[in-house]
Amino acid sequence: MKSLYILIAFLFLPILTSNNKNHEYFVSVTKVEYSKETQSLQIISQIFIDDFETVLRKRYDEKIILDIENESESVETYMKRYLTDKLKINVNGSAVNFKFIGKEYKDDITYCYLEIENVSDIKSIAVTNQLLFDAFSDQQNILRLKLLDKNKSFLLVPENDSCVLNFD
Amino acid sequence: MLFTSFSIYAQDEITPERQQGHTNQNKFKQLYDEFATPNMFRTGSGAPGPAYYQQQADYKMDIEIDDVNAKLYGNETITYTNNSPDELKYLWVQLDQNMRSRDSKTPLISSSGIAPANSSAGAVKSYLKEAFDGGFNIEHVKDANGKDLPHTINRTMMRVELPKSMKTGDKFSFQIKWWYQINNHQVDRGRSGYEYFEENDNRIYVIAQFYPRMAVYNDVEGWQNSQFWGRDEFALPFGDFDVNITVPADHILDGTGYLVNREEVFTKDMMKRFNEAKKAYDEPVMIVTQTEAEKTEKTKSKTKRTWKLSAQMVRDFGFATSRKFLWDMMAVKVGDKDVMAVSMYSKEGNPLWEQWSTKAVASTLRSYSRLTFDYPYHKAISVHAPMGMEYPMICYNFGRPDKEGNYSDRTKYGMISVIIHEVGHNFFPMIINSDERQWTWMDEGLNTFSQYVAEQDFGEWYPKALSPNDKAYPSRRGPAKKIVRYMGGNQDYIAPIMTKGLNTYQFGNNAYGKPATALNILRETIMGRELFDYSFREYAQRWMFKHPTPEDFFRTMEDASAVDLDWFWRGWFYTTDYTDIGIKEVKKFAVTGKPNDNGKKLAEQYNRDPNSLVYFIEEGAEGYDDAMKTSIAIDNLPTVKEYIMDNFTPEEQKALKKTPKYFYQVTFDKPGGLVMPIIVEYTYADGTKNRETYPAQVWRLNDKEVSKAIASEKEIVSITLDPDLETADVDITNNSWPKEVKDSDFTKFKNKVKD
Repeated sequence: MKSLYILIAFLFLPILTSNNKNHEYFVSVTKVEYSKETQSLQIISQIFIDDFETVLRKRYDEKIILDIENESESVETYMKRYLTDKLKINVNGSAVNFKFIGKEYKDDITYCYLEIENVSDIKSIAVTNQLLFDAFSDQQNILRLKLLDKNKSFLLVPENDSCVLNFD
Repeated sequence: MLFTSFSIYAQDEITPERQQGHTNQNKFKQLYDEFATPNMFRTGSGAPGPAYYQQQADYKMDIEIDDVNAKLYGNETITYTNNSPDELKYLWVQLDQNMRSRDSKTPLISSSGIAPANSSAGAVKSYLKEAFDGGFNIEHVKDANGKDLPHTINRTMMRVELPKSMKTGDKFSFQIKWWYQINNHQVDRGRSGYEYFEENDNRIYVIAQFYPRMAVYNDVEGWQNSQFWGRDEFALPFGDFDVNITVPADHILDGTGYLVNREEVFTKDMMKRFNEAKKAYDEPVMIVTQTEAEKTEKTKSKTKRTWKLSAQMVRDFGFATSRKFLWDMMAVKVGDKDVMAVSMYSKEGNPLWEQWSTKAVASTLRSYSRLTFDYPYHKAISVHAPMGMEYPMICYNFGRPDKEGNYSDRTKYGMISVIIHEVGHNFFPMIINSDERQWTWMDEGLNTFSQYVAEQDFGEWYPKALSPNDKAYPSRRGPAKKIVRYMGGNQDYIAPIMTKGLNTYQFGNNAYGKPATALNILRETIMGRELFDYSFREYAQRWMFKHPTPEDFFRTMEDASAVDLDWFWRGWFYTTDYTDIGIKEVKKFAVTGKPNDNGKKLAEQYNRDPNSLVYFIEEGAEGYDDAMKTSIAIDNLPTVKEYIMDNFTPEEQKALKKTPKYFYQVTFDKPGGLVMPIIVEYTYADGTKNRETYPAQVWRLNDKEVSKAIASEKEIVSITLDPDLETADVDITNNSWPKEVKDSDFTKFKNKVKD
């Protein structure tokens, strides 16, 4: 029933949108891939720039503007702090920390690059993704896991913000 | 061709199991099953038919805004004309504000869940606060003589019983009196409402859907009967409006139509500036300056003033009013007449709005008039309100600097783009009046496509508006590669374009981005600009001030261009298929007169003298010799020479193609469902390149893969598919030969950061 419920949520939540918002609904995409070569989990989080700006302003500093020339250095510090707060990853049952490699802006999206090093074996992975739930009530986060021949997508919403994938 | 060739497929020795039959699944099948049958109302050419008709609804309204309580009071007389061949027993009137009434069903179709952790503000809003009641309060519905008319309200629609059925040509007048509470669109969202400013306790009202409006009755739907759930917009008949709007005397107001009592509501200074603006073609003239507006917003007038507006042949009416407004105007030549480009904004919009809003309006009118027809109204207004929404002659647009007046490129381009988009809506759907409730893409898609063209024009005409790093206007939608992220995404959350907006998952991509991109691809890649622009203009002119359906658009584009596009409409509009074309394999061949074993066998099988044939031997196959590649020319083979001498005159022989030395068989496969042209760039050993486009029809007999024999004078060293990314190919890792191994996005970024 859960998956049906989520699908329905996806269908109808953003119903009261006005006509030409920059993007018509709130959604982020986070891709997690395992690289054998580097023995690491490589993560790319895609967040709309204006949503990200909204939440960083609300939480940390009203004055920051993303994606301008001479962007304040504090922006990356806040991004890192925010992502560390809202994106939790467990590998084989224990919490792991990621390294914030950096971010880039393409069109209207922020791409954040995160890496978890020294992962030699994955038996299970659990991800909790609460990005932007604190700013937008109808925020949804898509999570794509591409690990060891498994390819799985999850749609995470405030009332169901985690997912687990086991490899046996 | 210089040589004869045989098919070399061996006869299948085993008797196959008998297959089942099938229906026509060909992707080039005509759309007879999907399209409505042409008739006297709408013809097979896509033009209005000889029996085409449309209804008319004329309005006379008195409106008053109570600024203290944020309420709107109205009284209207609607005169409805039945031009249909049908007899009407009742009329349907739309009550769109009822979507905001306390008993609205809109929240009921939204899914909701309990979040484990809530902010206290969120919890109060969700579980404690009474929902805002913004529905219409209908006080009465009366006929012209003041007699009550029976009526039934079904949510956002009201059926009014006619005392006597309306026959063709009949007119019927009736009155409605109503009021409603205006919503704060910052809190409760929406396409209209007010924004509240704590400083000086002021509001900016952008008002729309504020009156009971006639529904459309036509040949395809009968009465428009799809409720307003909040997303799919409007279907409205054309008519004339005379509207008197009473607001506090210190308000500045503008809206749809001619301002009839300008002398009454303008000061002498404003009048003088207005007359200057009518001759200002380059820079807007301030009608109300920032200094004046800042002074006005500090006090509140106790008296009222009535602004009188009159509009002809419009499908709707909107207005904006506030004591905070600055106001500027300039003239723009459209065809042989002058149109006024107008902006209204508060000081919060500056310094951005005074610089670009009115210029963006003027530029849009020029671009769209070129694409469609000369803008027929006398003005177009852009109002600063944090949303993006369109009405005839007036639209509401976002884009606000921060409190210190700083803004990012994103804010600047966002503002210019939304103004171009919303002003563009004057054409689609205000004048080319499609049914938004059913087909969001018909106005949003066509408009977003036109917006792309207009943005590029704007960048060219106002290079100062561009940031130093941008050579052209950075359009968000239009170019093929920008839709790849969506079309290549999870199929569970994608719907065909031909889906009612309410039922789509990703509204913006579905109704705006994808159709806009599809049209851009038609223009740039499939049809070419000349054929596309002629047909697009023809569609616009055929359906100017009329009500087109999707088929009318599809058919006109084909009818005016002689390009059969059924395959394109089918794939792009009726399915969620995506483009993915790849190079499966490349085989190299050498030519020889000397058969290998296989060649001998074939010659024997077809009972031909082995010495009379020309053989192509694949590199590495039995009988292949590297020397063949360079030593033997095809026209040096005795058998070919004989053939040439016997069949061509000496003049014709001279005209023969230059001798090809290299022979390839390139196989293209198509993991994607869409049929699209194969655009190939061949790169030769000497560094030169050659482009070839194989039309989409190359897939008509085999939807999976096709092969091409290439005879070339020069050695081919690499092949690239879709080199300019113009087909929205979702996977370009299979687009090159030899296959390029590319780093993942992650590795690429990591290396970049390291450097």
